[in-house]
Order: sequence, then structure tokens, then C-alpha cells
Amino acid sequence: MEIDREDGRRPNQLRPLACSRNILHRPHGSASWSQGDTKVLAAVYGPKPGTRKNENPEKACFEVIWKPKSGQIGKAEKEYEMILKKTIQSICVLTVNPNTTTSVIIQVVHDDGSLLPCAINAACAALVDAGIPMKHLAVAICCCLADSGYVVLDPNKLEEKKMTAFAYLVFPNTTLSVLPEVEGEPVEHGIITSVTHGVMSVDDYFLCVENGRAATASLSAFFRKNFQQTQGAV
Amino acid sequence: MNAQVAVSPTSLIDQIVVPGDVVLDLSNMTNQTIKLGSGLRQESDAISAMRAGKFSYSKPNKYWVESSHKRYIPRTEDHVLGIVVDYKADNFWVDIKGPQLALLPGLAFEGATRRSIPKFEACTLLYLRVVKTNIGMNPELSGTDASGKASVFGPLKDGFMFETSTGLSRMLLSSPTCPVLEALGKKLSFEIATGLNGRVWVNAAAPRSVIIVANAIMNSETLSATQQRIMVEKLLAKISD
Repeated sequence: MEIDREDGRRPNQLRPLACSRNILHRPHGSASWSQGDTKVLAAVYGPKPGTRKNENPEKACFEVIWKPKSGQIGKAEKEYEMILKKTIQSICVLTVNPNTTTSVIIQVVHDDGSLLPCAINAACAALVDAGIPMKHLAVAICCCLADSGYVVLDPNKLEEKKMTAFAYLVFPNTTLSVLPEVEGEPVEHGIITSVTHGVMSVDDYFLCVENGRAATASLSAFFRKNFQQTQGAV
Repeated sequence: MNAQVAVSPTSLIDQIVVPGDVVLDLSNMTNQTIKLGSGLRQESDAISAMRAGKFSYSKPNKYWVESSHKRYIPRTEDHVLGIVVDYKADNFWVDIKGPQLALLPGLAFEGATRRSIPKFEACTLLYLRVVKTNIGMNPELSGTDASGKASVFGPLKDGFMFETSTGLSRMLLSSPTCPVLEALGKKLSFEIATGLNGRVWVNAAAPRSVIIVANAIMNSETLSATQQRIMVEKLLAKISD
């Protein structure tokens, strides 16, 4: 029994992706990422000398500022900032530029569902544009659970409201490697961040994770192709 | 869902890589000494990329990831354009667009003694050489070359300074002479100082020459050699009317 989605997509199909880098003049790195109608702009400044108080001076420090499309900054925005900061700290190499601060500013242009994953993807693209050293990229996806137990990827706002539960999942990207096939778990099978809303059973959660992970291959391929096109032009 | 089996590429040299790509497998290269340049990181037996860019190799044993950004990572023996920020205790603090402010000892100039340290005010533009870079420490600069002579280093007076990306600075400094500079040099006479940190200083007798040179350089970043020459010719033709 297939679920009928309003815009005719299959359950595992993502919305059209678009990414442009180096779009803003002043920041040292910038990117805009859109998934369907959800669009987020990210800007990176840094690394700048000095760390914030209470931060370890032997590591690079990151600060995230989240600017909503309208309205005052409230608790939801602070939560997004914290999640983004922790995700960025785990993908960046912190020992290369100790005692520096890098600021990441996220500006929501339009929210049509799956906002936090879109922001994480935009922030990652902006960090790449700024040349911040990273261990690998992060690809983020939203998986939600419908009443009937079906997992649907990349919902828009209406679908998100109708679902019983959804999870924002962030995985490392699929990488090219000159190493021969390795035994055991490759790096892509790790998970960086998981934020869940609503009630779901453990089995349903693992089903979401599996479906989300399968989609990372297409997101990584999109990012790589996008980067190669802009580099090829130079 | 179709599972796609990716075939491991045998070599990623001259390919575009993104952070996380494993570019070298050290277990195959046990008896060699290799030099890792910018953008590469070692994890036990695998070398992976930290930045996105083109993975390059130069004989005999140098590997690096080439990329162009608005900020600069200090490297020793680079020539950079710095702007003086402060002067404390016989040392100048200079901004070179890097993660840290750089230190320029007051005595690092030809013929400088304790009593005759040059007096540079804040916002003075200096052409300097990077002497020391260590992780976690401020990079050190010098106003002399390795033998202690001033040669080309020191303050730059008059002229116009503008910022570019590090990739464009490298292109301007490449040999043979970069096409845009060659084309401009045929018709105009000007002085230019390029810093590897993404700053370029231009000076000429007439302000309009300075502006033409600056605009031509800023436009030439994404153009190929022939496109650069065509762009410069169009620019010069417009002006001479």
C-alpha cells in the first residue's frame, strides 16, 4: 500500500535540490541551499583570532547565529543554534587553528518543511567555500513516519504537520577513496546527529535511519557534482 | 532502491576532491618519503582531504589540495602584503588575512637598531616575508630577505590596494607572466605588488591607469588566457576613445 503524497513524489524521493556557493561579497564563505521551496542562506566568517569565554583555547571554537525569516529570536532558534554548533564541531578538524573563532550565520529565506536539515546542508557548503578544514561533509535529511507506519523522506510543511513523528538525521557523506574495499563498517555508516519529534517505536526509528542513510548517497553525489561544476569553470 | 557499487578510483591526482576523500594509501608506499602540503590530513595509513579543491602532485614527492579562498593560511617564505594594526614593545602587529595576527619584530628591517626602529603608523601597507609559522602561535614576518637586505620589502607608498582571492594572487605570480598582466603591460606602465595572502597593490602615474589595471585584474579571475587578453583589449579600447 503506497502512500499518496500531494506533490506526486514517491516516499523516498527528495525535492529538487539547488546549491550555490560564494554568493555573498563580505563573508569569507557563503552558500545558499534549497530543497524544493525551503531555502536557507549560510555565511561563514573566520577563522578569527581569540575564543569566547569558557571555550577551550586549544581547539577552534564555532559560534552559530540563527536568524529566522520573521519574528523575534526565541527558544526554538537557540535550540537550532546548539544543534548546528554540535554538528559542526564534530565534522570540523578542531586542532588545525587553535584559539580561533569561526562564526556561522544562518538566515532562513523560506521555510517549507525540513528546515534544520536544509540549514545543516547550507552551513556545510558555506564551510567548504570558506576553506575551513573538515574531516568529512555532513548530509542532512528529514524522515517522517506516517500513521500507517510508512517512512517518508523530505516532507514539506503540510506533510510535516500531518505526520505522527519525524526525525532529522545527519550522516557523513559518501567519500571517494583510493583504498581497496575494506572489511567492516565504512565511515558512511556512522551517524552524526539525530533530532526527533513526536512518538515512534524503536523499530520505526531504525527504519527511518535506514531510509535516511540510503538517501545520503544521492545528496553526496549532488554536492560533489555541484562543486565540480564550479571548479571546472575556474 | 538500487544499490550502487562504487568502483574505487586508482588515483585521484588532478581530480576535484571534497573533504573526507581518501586520496593516498600509505600502505602501498612504504619506502618513500612524501611531503604533504595544504589541505591534507593523515589518519594512520590513509591520507584524506580536509578542504575541497584539486588534488595536485608535483615530482618527486609533493602532494597538496589546491583551492582558492578569501582567507590566507600562512606559509613560510611566502611574500605577503600586511597592514599594521598596532605597535607594542618593539613589535608590530600586522594583519595578513590569516587566522591570527602576525608579529613583525621592529628590528627585522635593514639597518634597524634599537634606537632607529622604523615608525609605521596603524594602517600602513607593508610588503613582507613570512619567516615562521607554527600551529597555535602567531606567524612571524620580516622586512628583509634571508640575507638581511631589504630588497623588495618594506612600506608601499601611494597607489591603491585591493583584495582578491588567494587563487587569483597565485595566478598573478605565476611564470610565465600571467596573460592579463602581459596584455596590460603592453599599453600601460604601472607598478604592482602581489601578496600571496590575497592582496594586490597597484601604482601608476595617472589615477585612470591604476583603476584600469585594478578592474582588469579583478575581472580576470574566472577567465581563460585568451578571454583575459580579449577583456583587456576591450577595456583599453574603451578608454582610449
